[in-house]
Amino acid sequence: MGVVHGQEMVLNIGPQHPATHGVLRLQVKTDGEIISEITPYMGYLHRCFEKHCENVTYEQVIPFTDRCDYLASMTMNFGYVVAMEQLMEIKVNDRVEYIRVIMAELQRIASHLLGIGAFGLDLGAFTPFLHMLRDRERILDIFEMTCGARLLYNYMWVGGLSHDLPTGFVEATLNFLDYFEPKVDEFENLLGHNKIFVERTADIGIMPAEVAISYGVTGPNLRGSGVKWDLRIDDPYSIYDRFDFNVPVGKGMKGTVGDCWDRFYVRIHEIRESIKIVRQAIDQLPKEGDVHQAMPKKIRPPKGSIYRRTESPRGDLGYYIESDGSDTPYRVKMRSPAFTALSVLNEIGAGWLMSDVLGILGSLDIVLGEIDR
Amino acid sequence: MSEDKEKIISEAVEKALQGDMDTINNIEDRVTRSKAKAALVKAKRAKVVSDEDSTKEDNASESKVEEKINFNQTLCKKISEKFSDSIDGDQNNDWIQLKPENWLKIAKWLKSDEELFFDSLQCNTGMDLGEGVLESRYNLHSMKHLHKVEIRIKVSAEKPDIPSVEQVWRVADWFERETYDMFGINFIGHRDLRRILLPDDWEGWPLRKDYEEQETYHGIIVPKVKEGWE
Amino acid sequence: MGLLENKFTDNIIVEKLDKLLSWSRSTSPWFFQFGTACCAIEMMAAAASRHDLMRIGIIPRSSPRQADVMIVAGTVTMKMALRVKKLYEQMADPKYVVAMGSCATSGGPYWQHGYHVLKGVDIVIPVDVYVPGCPPRPEALIEGLLKLQEQILEERPLTRKTG
Repeated sequence: MGVVHGQEMVLNIGPQHPATHGVLRLQVKTDGEIISEITPYMGYLHRCFEKHCENVTYEQVIPFTDRCDYLASMTMNFGYVVAMEQLMEIKVNDRVEYIRVIMAELQRIASHLLGIGAFGLDLGAFTPFLHMLRDRERILDIFEMTCGARLLYNYMWVGGLSHDLPTGFVEATLNFLDYFEPKVDEFENLLGHNKIFVERTADIGIMPAEVAISYGVTGPNLRGSGVKWDLRIDDPYSIYDRFDFNVPVGKGMKGTVGDCWDRFYVRIHEIRESIKIVRQAIDQLPKEGDVHQAMPKKIRPPKGSIYRRTESPRGDLGYYIESDGSDTPYRVKMRSPAFTALSVLNEIGAGWLMSDVLGILGSLDIVLGEIDR
Repeated sequence: MSEDKEKIISEAVEKALQGDMDTINNIEDRVTRSKAKAALVKAKRAKVVSDEDSTKEDNASESKVEEKINFNQTLCKKISEKFSDSIDGDQNNDWIQLKPENWLKIAKWLKSDEELFFDSLQCNTGMDLGEGVLESRYNLHSMKHLHKVEIRIKVSAEKPDIPSVEQVWRVADWFERETYDMFGINFIGHRDLRRILLPDDWEGWPLRKDYEEQETYHGIIVPKVKEGWE
Repeated sequence: MGLLENKFTDNIIVEKLDKLLSWSRSTSPWFFQFGTACCAIEMMAAAASRHDLMRIGIIPRSSPRQADVMIVAGTVTMKMALRVKKLYEQMADPKYVVAMGSCATSGGPYWQHGYHVLKGVDIVIPVDVYVPGCPPRPEALIEGLLKLQEQILEERPLTRKTG
């Protein structure tokens, strides 16, 4: 018996679908259930971030960077601030550095929780999503205690921070970590070793390492394909060289290297590594130091340009800043990791069934605010 | 933390500083074990910091900058030897300015040459330098040799044509579409050059410095209407 | 009630049909989750376990045909504005709209130089409740929805309006 080929149908997975990933339109050419081509259409959330940056001052750019990747605002601020401080050659004191690392790693945990929860939700697993949101709320409580906001913090400023740590921060964080560390094992068992989840994600959406590098995929997606590349170790910024942590890499434990299960595995283990880093940072946190010490009165960088990358929970976040000596930037370009992650969808998604494709999209962990800027 | 746990942690850290890691690794309770490891890292760091001098840090960063400048100059020489008449203007230290004509051949050579091996294009930025000059900047990086370079190509706004490198680095496909969308730079040889972020029937190139917003889009007023609120 | 008071036993309630309809509509407004940007995350957090929206009777639905309230959470761009209008027209009467966040109310932080941002979703669809904030806390969204409930309770769907 041969294969019966019908007519190719063009299906639209419209800009409005349940609000995890945002407004993205996928035009899918299918032959029955098997997909032959996926074309993503973006721009439904293009909010003119780069045009705004050219018209406001350097400090006023920071709230705009928050709103690009709204699930990981601390790391977006961190990337901009690291680039600016390298451009202006400002050195901040140790207390500021340690607090920044603590905040960035807690933000990484929160972002991965939501990413994994949404991935499970796309495949139909509702319970882990609720459990992860419950634990994420506790992290948001810690952030709210420090800077007053739950989602968009505007916390890291050029040369320092907006507020110092409040009293009770260290106890609250350590209580949270003690409560949360056994939960990671629970999540891994609940979702990761679940037979249905494994059947739906192992050996699906395999991304070989050369394809990943050529398409510019970075972060957990690249590490899931077996490439050990983490900017915190390979191109270090801030004080990440003082901490002792591993970089999890996908090994193909349940299927081939580079499938969706590997990307999930990398994210769960990154949560564990972030917990380690936060514990070490709290131990080494210096008690004295003024967080506003190195902040310049007026930010007026010298003429020149800089491109600096930092590690956000989605991958390589890069800022290309060009300054012309005045107090508003001449050009700020954000190189977003989710933009390149989405571009590889056609390459790894074509040839699978409809229900697999949404799982592949979920495993890439994209955020539309960052893609469209 | 209770007294016993503190004692266990401090004993384990002392033994580990002398080279015996078994005591730490044998602590049963995972939370205590991770706390002991954190304390060990802190103790090691305290030893190292007292030895280091701050001048050593400055020397290290200066030598990095010199390395980068030397690498840039050698790369410039190699390019001008292999592809004549490609460098545009004087040689500069921080970046390499190229003419648009030979860009595709140079890009293929940069990726395939064994010593250079620039296998990842990190970022492609468009820039409007004013006075009718547009520029496209590429940040390249090698994952094998860990060196990086920035390449800039200038074109005029009347005829902004640059060869496309999307066959060399697949990531350039979407990067170039975005630069076309925002600046209007035409990438010759790109298989599918159309707008990516703005709707297909949008008028104008928004990130150019002389951009004027259109009045209406499908009947919706585009500029901000609430004047006098500044 | 007048004439009919105390004529029946205690478990019979007499009320106007208008009020009954508006009471039942107000206590179960199922919302159409139209989240575009950051406010969508706060909308999800409002529907999750800590600030439970379902205890008020508000359940998320993914299809416009099955929903009563459309919560526009996040920035609406020009490209999306045409689709928002279509989605609003696909909803069945009676329908209400809640503009959540400053981007949906008036363009938000992007109102000044955003060439592609719609300065307020009320340019394309009629809005009943505005919830300010960037992003508004889940408690603020719940208060906005409760205000919407009060509004619905005041309606008299069967009364013919003159003039």
